[in-house]
Amino acid sequence: MSQIHVTTKINGDETEFLCGPEETLLDVLRDHLGMTGTKEGCGTGDCGACSVTVDGRLVCSCLMLGAEAEGHEIGTIEGVAKGDELHPVQKKFLDHAALQCGICTPGFLVAAKALLDRTLEPTEEEVRYWLAGNLCRCTGYDKIVRAVMDTAAELRGA
Amino acid sequence: MRYLRPASCDEALGMLSAPDTRIVAGGTDVYPALRDRAPRFDMVDVTGIADLRKITQEDDWLRIGAAATWSELIRHPLPPAFDGLKAAAREVGSVQIQNAGTVAGNLCNASPAADGVPPLLTLDAEVEVAGPEGARRLPLGDFILGPRRTALAPGEMVTAVLVPEPPAGAVSAFAKLGSRTYLVISIAMVSVLATAAEGRIAEARVAVGACSPVAVRLSALEADLAGRPVADLNDLGLVTSAHLAPLSPLSDVRGSAAYRVDAVGTLVRRALLAALEGRNG
Ligand SMILES: Cc1cc2nc3c(=O)[nH]c(=O)nc-3n(C[C@H](O)[C@H](O)[C@H](O)COP(=O)(O)OP(=O)(O)OC[C@H]3O[C@@H](n4cnc5c(N)ncnc54)[C@H](O)[C@@H]3O)c2cc1C
Ligand code: FES
Ligand code: FES
Repeated sequence: MSQIHVTTKINGDETEFLCGPEETLLDVLRDHLGMTGTKEGCGTGDCGACSVTVDGRLVCSCLMLGAEAEGHEIGTIEGVAKGDELHPVQKKFLDHAALQCGICTPGFLVAAKALLDRTLEPTEEEVRYWLAGNLCRCTGYDKIVRAVMDTAAELRGA
Repeated sequence: MRYLRPASCDEALGMLSAPDTRIVAGGTDVYPALRDRAPRFDMVDVTGIADLRKITQEDDWLRIGAAATWSELIRHPLPPAFDGLKAAAREVGSVQIQNAGTVAGNLCNASPAADGVPPLLTLDAEVEVAGPEGARRLPLGDFILGPRRTALAPGEMVTAVLVPEPPAGAVSAFAKLGSRTYLVISIAMVSVLATAAEGRIAEARVAVGACSPVAVRLSALEADLAGRPVADLNDLGLVTSAHLAPLSPLSDVRGSAAYRVDAVGTLVRRALLAALEGRNG
């Protein structure tokens, strides 16, 4: 099978890669680019562990081909912190102990950041709705939801 | 397999004339169904066709381009007659799924539990198809033929979902019964569109999904509802088994056939009350 040459931007950096036509963006990130922060839970769109943004839209990277990234801007968990400085939502996940095994955490953080980039005044119901595509089998959702609500409050200076 | 990304409908139709090609839009039905097997067909990704991404008003029709996503529909300003469709859109999977999945893909996939079908049936939607023989248009009810079966001929593609101007003052609602709040396959879902004047229902349209091989309008019920006082919607016996005769629900892990039919009667009254009075019955 012939390889496809793809030019894209990942977390702000111009990136080029070769991938097979059948490889998902998730495969490309993890296996070709060594960006293993994005996780695979199900491979079928159900768990959200593979969440990334494409031009700011939150999607599952397991339901998208690597080839589809051509010309788009991809955002992954690796771009959420600025160098060693954690994003406020990452700090709040630590403060609230909103993770246990951590497999789901990158997906939750990418999804939560995408929500907070849209609004700093989400209601609890909106947070729960927004994160409904992210599954966690250990922590329970309350701590996660509280961490996100608390981040929003901090960011709007409340 | 090859991954093909046409820039125009003509280019896409050229590609589709070859054997072993498959259209992919958001991929949210196509990719999970592959289950890790490399596809044996060429993928024709229609999301790069700029015209297909648009949602526009053209004369008396709303045109939902075949590559427009559920999220784009939710954000598009529309009158209350579309509230049911928007409510259904918000129930399609999760934010991630709504950002990728398209309205047209939902119809083409032809699942009996597709959330988009009942609201679009109450809106009298039509499907615009392009193919080697030219373009044609057919009512949604004639487009979906059975589970996973549509009227698309080989080499054809959907270019848009078209919705005629709804009746003046129409309101609508969508009610889905699942085993939990988010991310579920429907046990049953109901979409209604209605107009009322002076406390009476003028026109009511009712469609039910997940209770027959293809979602259906309940025309006998619609005829009985016309002219009735809105207050009758509080009558628990309003929806009779004769009204629900077009349904043929299955019994499966999600619910028994009897439970599904019973639930539909309640969902219909609730959806109509929610639409007409802004409350749940
Ligand atoms: C986790 C998850 C949850 C989901 N939850 C729901 C839910 O709650 N309710 C629901 O209704 N659906 C749900 N779905 C199914 C799916 O997201 C929707 O049906 C979606 O609208 C499909 O659109 P798509 O663009 O992704 O379709 P695709 O997967 O790209 O295509 C679907 C089918 O339509 C064909 N097709 C697509 N576009 C065209 C075209 N223009 N012309 C001809 N054929 C075309 C494809 O060949 C394929 O057969 C879910 C999916 C996942 C993965
Ligand atoms: S791995 Fe993509 S949603 Fe689970
Ligand atoms: S912390 Fe283990 S799955 Fe969420």
